[in-house]
Amino acid sequence: MSKNVIEIQNLTKNYGKNRGVTNLSLTVGEGEIFGFLGPNGAGKSTTIRSMLGLARFQEGEIQILGMDVKTQGVEILRQVGYMPSEAWFYPDMRVRDVIRYAAKMRGMDCGAEAEMLCERLQVDQTKKIEELSLGNRKKVSIVCAMQHKPKLFVFDEPTSGLDPLMQAEFFKLILEYNAKGATCFLSSHVLSEVRKYCGRAAIIREGKLIKTDTVENLTKTSAKHVRVVKDGAEEDFIYRGNVNELLRDLASHDVADVVIEEPELEEVFMHFYGKE
Amino acid sequence: MVLYAHEMKRNLKGFLIWFLVIVGMCFGCILLYSSVEASLSDMGDVFAKMGAMSKAFGMDRVSVATMGGYFATEIAMLHALGGGMFAAILGSNLLSKEEFGHTIEFLAVLPVSRGKILVQKYLCVITNLLVFQVFGVLCYVLGFAVMGESIPVKHLLIMGATQLLMMLEIGSICFCVSAFSKKNRMGVGLGVAMIFFAMDVTCRVIPAIENLKYVTPFYYCNATDVFTDVKLPVGSVIIAVCAIVISVALAAWQYLRKDLQ
Repeated sequence: MSKNVIEIQNLTKNYGKNRGVTNLSLTVGEGEIFGFLGPNGAGKSTTIRSMLGLARFQEGEIQILGMDVKTQGVEILRQVGYMPSEAWFYPDMRVRDVIRYAAKMRGMDCGAEAEMLCERLQVDQTKKIEELSLGNRKKVSIVCAMQHKPKLFVFDEPTSGLDPLMQAEFFKLILEYNAKGATCFLSSHVLSEVRKYCGRAAIIREGKLIKTDTVENLTKTSAKHVRVVKDGAEEDFIYRGNVNELLRDLASHDVADVVIEEPELEEVFMHFYGKE
Repeated sequence: MVLYAHEMKRNLKGFLIWFLVIVGMCFGCILLYSSVEASLSDMGDVFAKMGAMSKAFGMDRVSVATMGGYFATEIAMLHALGGGMFAAILGSNLLSKEEFGHTIEFLAVLPVSRGKILVQKYLCVITNLLVFQVFGVLCYVLGFAVMGESIPVKHLLIMGATQLLMMLEIGSICFCVSAFSKKNRMGVGLGVAMIFFAMDVTCRVIPAIENLKYVTPFYYCNATDVFTDVKLPVGSVIIAVCAIVISVALAAWQYLRKDLQ
């Protein structure tokens, strides 16, 4: 059995009276691509910041790559590539200097890897940060997160602002690093990304973890997505009852067409979020 | 020391602007002495008899008609005020600029402890102020030499050292403010420097608030006192050292426990 790269036990983090996350526990195994789903304000970034030692939490324990985040924070950061949701750098610095600065701070020469990443992501290293669009700043952020070939990637909504071609290139890179043994923790609210690239996923809502499972199991619920044309009218709905009753009900109508299938992850997501 | 080098590089432009403006202006005033010497000798007595104003700026103890007096009452005061303002701006920005510029998330995830970030940024403050003072004093030595005046080496060194302590005190207080803030506190920093300067001027003429001399760092670095060999106020210096230590300790306490938001 592979060892856990991320182990979070009973994490509770509040900002004064404001909720952060409550009693959150999850594990991510070595070599996994793990999705972390939740809407804005659910506690995704708080969880990530606690994982990386950027926010002090009130209760719980976090181990990253077998190290305690409270006592070995710097060593953890050395082996993690983190891409924040907002890509901010020093505006008057050139892209090349930002990338080199990040590598120097790690005490590494990442020149070759950085060149390869810049080429594949089409990053113009001669430009100043202030001249870059959000998408291009995101690309610089990807290079900074990947150039030192970390054991664990932590991405916080990485694809917002990237065009579809770059999104595809980004995930291609993740899959390549993953094939070499890297683990990836992908926080996102883009469900299609999680469905396509992640093996397991956790769903967080209002600071609490409400479900952790394989993406396959998350989509395999008793609920069915039904699209039917009956009595001349088209209907599209999620059915959660007994399938026999559904069929009996359909038989009593003039059905021109019917499709009954597993719900999409999006629908599962909405199912979890629409409960209250 | 990568962060230290990075900070030094990023602050170089600001340093050069402040240095060239303040020291350049002071150096220019030294060179101007020969052209204003005659009029100053006429006005020296008038300046010395302006009551509280003379006392506030030390013109009752030295004559502006001499090069030493002119330097102590006019030029050194300008240098101290400018240096204090530079220290305030430098200190008040160094930590908080990462937060209001949103670069803290980039910096904080690099494998450097917050303690090291704080130390290297504070070393940047010390280096900037030290270089400002060393090259400033050297320029004034050059100025005295160019004017053919005898160089008051001892007085210039004491002035340079006490002003450096003053700038470190203001810079450290503002560094502490910066650790507690997420916004650009340049205005607060400049305010601190100006209030301290006003305290020095007023506590010299109003006996009721004389004790402010223990609060304001401009008191112990007053060039007129230095050039008239007034004994260094040890109490004020001890308080200054304590203020520096407490400010840096408070900054560290806050910065090390601060959450990234």
